[in-house]
Amino acid sequence: MGRRLAIIALAFSAVAPLLLLGLWSVGDQWFFPALLPGRLTLESWRHVISSRLAIEATVSGVVALATAAIACALALPVGRAMARLGGWRRRVAAAVAFLPVAAPPIALGLGLQYAFASLDLTGTIGGVILAHVVPATGFLAIYFAGVFTALDPRIEDEARSLGATPLQVWRHITIPIVKRQIGDALALGFLVSWAQVPLTLVIGGGVVRTLPLAVYDYVRAGETRYAATGALLLTIPPMLALLAARRERVAPL
Amino acid sequence: MEPALLVQGLAVPFGAGPGLRDVTFDVAAGERFVVLGASGAGKTSLLRALAGLSPVTDGTIAVSGAAIYLHQTPVLFPHLTVYENVAFPLRIRHRPESEIDSRVRAALASVQMSGLAPRMPRTLSGGQAHRVALARAVVARPALLLLDEPLASLDPTLREDMRRTILGLQTDWDGAMVIVTHDLDEMSALADRVAVLLDRRIAQIASPAEVLSRPASLAVARFLGHMNEMRMSADTVAVFPPSAVRPQADGRRARVVALRPRVRGTTAVLALGDARVEMAVDPLEPPAVGDELCVAFDPRGVVLFQNVETPSVPMSSTRIVS
Repeated sequence: MGRRLAIIALAFSAVAPLLLLGLWSVGDQWFFPALLPGRLTLESWRHVISSRLAIEATVSGVVALATAAIACALALPVGRAMARLGGWRRRVAAAVAFLPVAAPPIALGLGLQYAFASLDLTGTIGGVILAHVVPATGFLAIYFAGVFTALDPRIEDEARSLGATPLQVWRHITIPIVKRQIGDALALGFLVSWAQVPLTLVIGGGVVRTLPLAVYDYVRAGETRYAATGALLLTIPPMLALLAARRERVAPL
Repeated sequence: MEPALLVQGLAVPFGAGPGLRDVTFDVAAGERFVVLGASGAGKTSLLRALAGLSPVTDGTIAVSGAAIYLHQTPVLFPHLTVYENVAFPLRIRHRPESEIDSRVRAALASVQMSGLAPRMPRTLSGGQAHRVALARAVVARPALLLLDEPLASLDPTLREDMRRTILGLQTDWDGAMVIVTHDLDEMSALADRVAVLLDRRIAQIASPAEVLSRPASLAVARFLGHMNEMRMSADTVAVFPPSAVRPQADGRRARVVALRPRVRGTTAVLALGDARVEMAVDPLEPPAVGDELCVAFDPRGVVLFQNVETPSVPMSSTRIVS
């Protein structure tokens, strides 16, 4: 009974905010102490499609996709190398990889801003992508180190012994074996970038506008319906990732 | 004729010590060359060095073509079917599809695995996985196949099966094999020639029969086990196998003090005065403990070592000082 109650409470705590956001995004004339809005409207969703919010969502998607792809490409060999290290070398490598993940994003952003300014990267989408790549790569390198630790290193040795070049080993053996984990890593990299605010703010300098920044601005301006609509949009990719993970777990072996 | 493998003055680091040194030997095409050594002697390091998977610090390795290394436990590519596993060496060499198909089917047939071509590796038994790994290794017709204790992880029935499969590989492939093992039976069954690896260097290279009957040193004799050892004088030791001790009416009187049934034959431990000697006996009609026998030593089985210093290798057999 207690367990069932705990599950219900957990489900409620996960679903209730989303329901509330949904109501807010379509609610109009909703004043205290009314439990429900006075009328429903799709005005904010039309605004999403026709206004800058759509552009900002697109920018967010492009930045997150590029971040995921670049971070994954960098983290894959780094994580593999970390997994093949032993003893203190592995601990040092893990600490270095973890640094950009553990550092407060605002501190990381200020540090990167100095370097990016000299390269004319501040205020550009490219600069924002590179800034997002830094923590995402650290995060994914640690993830891939775990993946490759679980992978028998003799498999790659065997392929090399059979005459495969290093590139052929990657192409025909390593990547096909870890392709599911690469998919997971792409999703993780996407999510790390998708919800990123401080780095976008500092490196983008207000010129590069992403969906989280727009939601933040709507909240500050008291535009509750638009903020709720944007926030709902923000939750879509994580929800899709969760559903995909769930489907994978129940897929037959 | 050019050897399939020529190793000269090789030094291979392994473990915490100085590593293997001065390793020199050659292997002819079609030959099965066994490297025999105790666990931890550096056999696997040597094999990996020959495959180019481990570093060497000195010496040269010349192979007349490709060398393929097979791990002790088979390592198949888990995402590929049995067929695709065997096809892998040909695909990376960009061979035509028709050639790949015919050679893969022939290789699978040579290890009696034709029916399992569509299976995934996780569905195979240990013995089947061994066969697939062998088929995959020979399908590319390498000049040299390097096998790391190929029978060690198999149960006795599968060992015999696998032994036959390995011996059968060279019926339609003329490559050479280097096989490392610590097992005397495996060595005897597989080797054309054998190198005994002792004290981080090769102590003897000869045919299995010669190594067993004429060990090059006392250390080799002790390593081969089942040897009786008798000090003849201050600096001479006689070494002989249990089969060199035979009943003889006018021989020396001995008393049976114990029987030792072993896989390779039962032996009786005889008391010869203060000395102890093991003698091969008929396992179905062994003498009883306490029996008195007259025995003699077959000189063809006795090897004398002179200028012998204090033994440095632990003995597994009975030692006699008389």
